[in-house]
Amino acid sequence: MVLEATMICVDNSEWMRNGDYSPSRFQVQADAVSLVCGAKTQSNPENTVGILTMAGKGVRVLATPTSDLGKILSCMHGLEMGGEMNLAAGILIAQLALKHRQNKNQQQRIIVFAGSPIKHEKKALEIIGKKLKKNSVALDIVDFGEEEDGKPEKLEALLASVNNNDASHIVHVPPSQNALSDVLISTPVFTGDGEGGSGFAATTAAAAAGGVSDFDFGVDPNIDPELALALRVSMEEERARQEAAAKKAAEEASSQEKGEDAQPQSDSQNATSTATEKVSDPMDEDDLLKEALALSMNIPGSDSSAGDAQMSEASNDDQELALALQMSMQDGSKESSAPSDVSKVLGDQSFMSSIISSLPGVDPNDPNVKNLLASLPGQSESQQKKDEDEKPKDEK
Amino acid sequence: MACTHDHSCEDHDCSSNWSLYKHIDLSKVTALNEANPGSVKSVFKAWEERLNSSGEHLESNEGDPELLVYIPFTSDVKIKSISVVGGADGTSPSKLRVFINRDGIDFSDAQSMQPVQEWDLVENLQGVLEYQTRYSKFQSVANITLHFPESFAGDTTQIHYIGFKGEATQLKRDVVATIVYEITPNPSDHKTRAETGGGLSHVE
Repeated sequence: MVLEATMICVDNSEWMRNGDYSPSRFQVQADAVSLVCGAKTQSNPENTVGILTMAGKGVRVLATPTSDLGKILSCMHGLEMGGEMNLAAGILIAQLALKHRQNKNQQQRIIVFAGSPIKHEKKALEIIGKKLKKNSVALDIVDFGEEEDGKPEKLEALLASVNNNDASHIVHVPPSQNALSDVLISTPVFTGDGEGGSGFAATTAAAAAGGVSDFDFGVDPNIDPELALALRVSMEEERARQEAAAKKAAEEASSQEKGEDAQPQSDSQNATSTATEKVSDPMDEDDLLKEALALSMNIPGSDSSAGDAQMSEASNDDQELALALQMSMQDGSKESSAPSDVSKVLGDQSFMSSIISSLPGVDPNDPNVKNLLASLPGQSESQQKKDEDEKPKDEK
Repeated sequence: MACTHDHSCEDHDCSSNWSLYKHIDLSKVTALNEANPGSVKSVFKAWEERLNSSGEHLESNEGDPELLVYIPFTSDVKIKSISVVGGADGTSPSKLRVFINRDGIDFSDAQSMQPVQEWDLVENLQGVLEYQTRYSKFQSVANITLHFPESFAGDTTQIHYIGFKGEATQLKRDVVATIVYEITPNPSDHKTRAETGGGLSHVE
């Protein structure tokens, strides 16, 4: 928690329009600047940060060192790009701004974002570095953007002449998918000398790292307990549902052995249940599909309610009720008619496909959907369904 | 032990005169252009130790003999004279310029400002020389800044000991030491006279 006054030198030259860092070099630089400002002000409430631009018409100080984060961030808005970066003048004016800081107890630090080519000679940069070192000003350099021959060497030479006891750092950031701020979080620019990560840096790193996380579901229960709880509950629900579906399939398999009369129904049920089981296992959308089909079963043919009930009950997780219904089906005389009614409806392929295509997130070409469609119509095609049974079992 | 007093030193202890080092706020002593950060604190020691160069000493960076030492005191002091023991082989400082009660001086300020007093130093390897001050100007010194612009050889500057002779008053400059920040007011801290039952009028 070093008490520090920091001046950030922003590169707003023409080279910042380039898009090799997404969305543009200037945008990633602005994000990094706001992140640095936040880190500095959080690590010690008495820290101050100021900003100046190095390109444009000339070096311009946008904000003198202040602890007001809002003022600093608002300075970054509406910055124009143009001109060439003047690194030497930028650093010298930053040093001047730091010299006139209000609290003389603060350590002085300059952070430079060097995105465009450097037109100064190495010697000149070394002289500047010595001057900074003599006045005990630390310097952090972020080398990104334009990669020019000799630019890293010049910046390393500058760092070597400034560096006093490892107070100064340099970071080279090549163009990549990662945002500049993500790369900077893990560097000493944020963590400070030997602190090993301030709290700010640690939490932002956890958030930004995404999948790399020690916690389940990639969400820190400390940060967002409700989200973590919701994810855990839904995971358990899914697991319970899958177990129930597996149990129901086993039930159907056992009920299949009971009566040959119930063969077609059980076959269809089995087919649908295995199909639905197979379907429901991987994806939620197929789960939705199954339920949508069940709903659509309920719409047509209210007279064949028993058959519809049978279908819908089979689709639900209430396997005992399904068993009871099926037993009653065996006794009932409607058994042959009911399935055929249902199968007539289901056999209407065009109707089915129109329903399915209207469902969001369901691809009619999905093999699961095709299997489901094929398994529904035609109780007489028990052979085909047996093939369907083999196929899902093989696929398993 | 040689001493600039015209009496022999066995009778009394010269070191008591040079005891102002006890009133230096060592944690806040800083130096600019020192080769090893923090080494400046080693030059403030007792008179007897002034020739003891086994420990650390203050050295400027390679090739640059300028040194700027900022010394705050724990209370206001009156400084009668200053003694500086430099390094051998021309690394002793050749000039000294002092500034009183100004903090945050850096090299550009020091070079452009008029010092309160300046001396041409002599190589003082035995620590016997002291440089007297214009006492009237050094009456209430809360902090002092010593600027050594050059050394004899011109390459680097080494300093082994800096001593101050004088007396310490018990006064402190107006420094706000303890501040209580009040984020939300606590009514119990702000009792008015009416509430505490003072005064003639009594409001229910």
